[in-house]
Amino acid sequence: MNIVIPIKQVPETSNVKMDEETGTMIREGVESIINPLDLYAIEVGIELKEEHGGKVTVITMGPQSAEKALREAIAMGCDDGILITGKEFKGSDTWATSFVLSSAIRKIGTYDLILAGERATDGDTGQVGPGIASFLNIPLSTYTSRIVEITDNTIIVERLIEDGYETLQMPLPCLLTVVKEISYPRLPTLRGKQKAKKVEIPVWSADDMDLDKSKIGLNGSPTRVVRISHPRIARGGTIVKATDEESLSRAIDKLINFLQEKNLI
Amino acid sequence: MDREMSEICCDSEQKSRAKSRTLNKKRYNPVTKEIISELVQIVGEKNVITDEEKMEPYSYDETPKDQYAHMPEVVVTPHTAEEIAKIVKLANRELIPITPRGAGSGLSGGAIPIFGGIVISVEKMNRILEIDYKNMMVVVEPGVVTNDINEILAEKGLFYAGYPMSVETCFIGGNIAENAGGGKAVKYGVTGRYVMGLELVTPLGDIVQLGGKRVKDVTGYDIKQLIIGSEGTLGIVTKAILKLIPLPTAKVDLLVLFKDVKTAIDMVSLIMTEGKIIPTSVEFMDKLSVQASCEYLNEHLPYQQAGAMLLIEVDGNREDQVEEDAETIGELCLKNGAIEVYVADNYTTQERVWSVRRNIAEAFIVISPHQSLEDIVVPTASIPDLMPELERISKKYNIQIPCYGHAGDGNLHATLVKNPESTLEEWYEVEDKALRELYEVTKKLGGTLSGEHGVGSKRKEFLEMIFSPAEIELMKRIKRAFDPNNIMNPGKIFDID
Repeated sequence: MNIVIPIKQVPETSNVKMDEETGTMIREGVESIINPLDLYAIEVGIELKEEHGGKVTVITMGPQSAEKALREAIAMGCDDGILITGKEFKGSDTWATSFVLSSAIRKIGTYDLILAGERATDGDTGQVGPGIASFLNIPLSTYTSRIVEITDNTIIVERLIEDGYETLQMPLPCLLTVVKEISYPRLPTLRGKQKAKKVEIPVWSADDMDLDKSKIGLNGSPTRVVRISHPRIARGGTIVKATDEESLSRAIDKLINFLQEKNLI
Repeated sequence: MDREMSEICCDSEQKSRAKSRTLNKKRYNPVTKEIISELVQIVGEKNVITDEEKMEPYSYDETPKDQYAHMPEVVVTPHTAEEIAKIVKLANRELIPITPRGAGSGLSGGAIPIFGGIVISVEKMNRILEIDYKNMMVVVEPGVVTNDINEILAEKGLFYAGYPMSVETCFIGGNIAENAGGGKAVKYGVTGRYVMGLELVTPLGDIVQLGGKRVKDVTGYDIKQLIIGSEGTLGIVTKAILKLIPLPTAKVDLLVLFKDVKTAIDMVSLIMTEGKIIPTSVEFMDKLSVQASCEYLNEHLPYQQAGAMLLIEVDGNREDQVEEDAETIGELCLKNGAIEVYVADNYTTQERVWSVRRNIAEAFIVISPHQSLEDIVVPTASIPDLMPELERISKKYNIQIPCYGHAGDGNLHATLVKNPESTLEEWYEVEDKALRELYEVTKKLGGTLSGEHGVGSKRKEFLEMIFSPAEIELMKRIKRAFDPNNIMNPGKIFDID
């Protein structure tokens, strides 16, 4: 079973500082990591390989330094990595990124399954996984929470929906975007790290993939960022003071009414 | 939730037990209205707390509240050394005990006012006074959060290395009082190595300057070093000059699984003797600790097969060198019986491996809030001999004793956890007996009671197991010379009769 996993390198945002004036993130000194939600896809890929044999290839579009993310994935247990880089890709939106990644997957050739994280923690759109499926014209399951069964030509999966789970049977090849509950990502081992260090990672430019340059980069992106604004936090609290028995029972009534209005009790 | 419930349940026991621990209370005079108004005159009304509810958070530290907490009579939050000096003089005149207090994150009861009296909290003395780049030193007030020092210095590529584990809360003043250590002591040593100078309000209310920005200084007794680790019994630090080092920019962590404790511990010295590398930290976790923490965190490492784990960190300023060191250590571990070596070289994975280590104490609080977090320290080579003894004591008293800590420096947090099925009375009895046995074993192996938490009020009754009468008398004489009226944090380390 050949599996392709598109991943993204994102800034580590748990300690991030914002530029008060421009409202953008201060990237200086911020470490780049594998998008945490992609780790679940990587884990599923490796587990499937361990069970069914085959090969797991991770691909990413990004700057040269994104190679580090690919090597980390290989250290976890993926087999190959492909880095798509070049200034022609700069400014690509989710549409253009999906276009580029799907072209890269076509170039790879045969594949049975594509696995992707639910979304990236920086852009938070969740569009690239489905975008790739659409460009490749293959079936898609988003929010996949469990792989039930894989046979020669089909896969049965469970996906998380608002009121529970939905079971889908799909032909292979297809694309799954996965949620956290699907797996527990492993840590890279020393042996894995040593192997990852030696693996040669091919670097592909737009020319290598014969891409129509009008469809990539900032110019090829239909999305335009017009304005960035901050959401206002409008979280209000009510303090009900209770000083004696009487005001306490009034306060309790008030709380009960409030909770009933919100259908919470 | 569990913890709160049990605290409420054992309220009455709490009181009776607290009472039995307050010895010789009559020796001190109560804080009267007149004294309160004098304190108000010194520090201003805003900085005097007498409201019971507001004083309550000053009555305990991180030792079990029901066993060790005691209410102060008044809490003051001064802003200057001069104010503190005036309060100390007042306390001498009126014979009122003073308890200096940092962030209250201590683990030996050092900041608990066991005789009531005045708590002097340094929380408002929290300024970084000077960053001296040329001398690579920083001058701080005692109420600065230790972690904040490093956040500010990081931008300049500098680093204060004497930093303990409770990084987000503890104050530098408390670190100095306890000579705090922590996870990086193998390579960087403990607080005392970095304290160049201190301003101190003595127990008689004089303001003195000890040490300074001099790397060498043998002029007179080194009183500064005596103050570091004196647990607030010899005065109140009001200013500290700290040495800085260049900030390491690269680090790699290895989480190594071993089949048993012995294989893991034998590794510690091999890293240094055979690997020729001084790691930043070598943290040890036994099976019990790892399991509890992993279950608590829902962490699915293959820990079931491991009898013990080491968390080894190397750091430095060149990424390739640090990676090479990590690889050398990793290979050495595999050669010497490690089951698996995991490598964490980025934020995601480093957070994951360290949170297993950091959450052990929390995980056991969920199992039972009644525990005695110990801080024994033995020569590193004696750790393998200590482990079977822990198991023996644990079986004998039918309690769990998870053991984790800083294997690299021999400092282990063996923790006695109450058997959830036993009553509190039974637990207190077992705790005392098991502790005595633990300390006896520790001493036999060339170890001592506490490596970084201090004696405080929690361990003072065990002090004579470690020191000879002559040694204790020597310490008491120092105390009397500093504090003839015994008003400065009395009842800590030992009682003065």
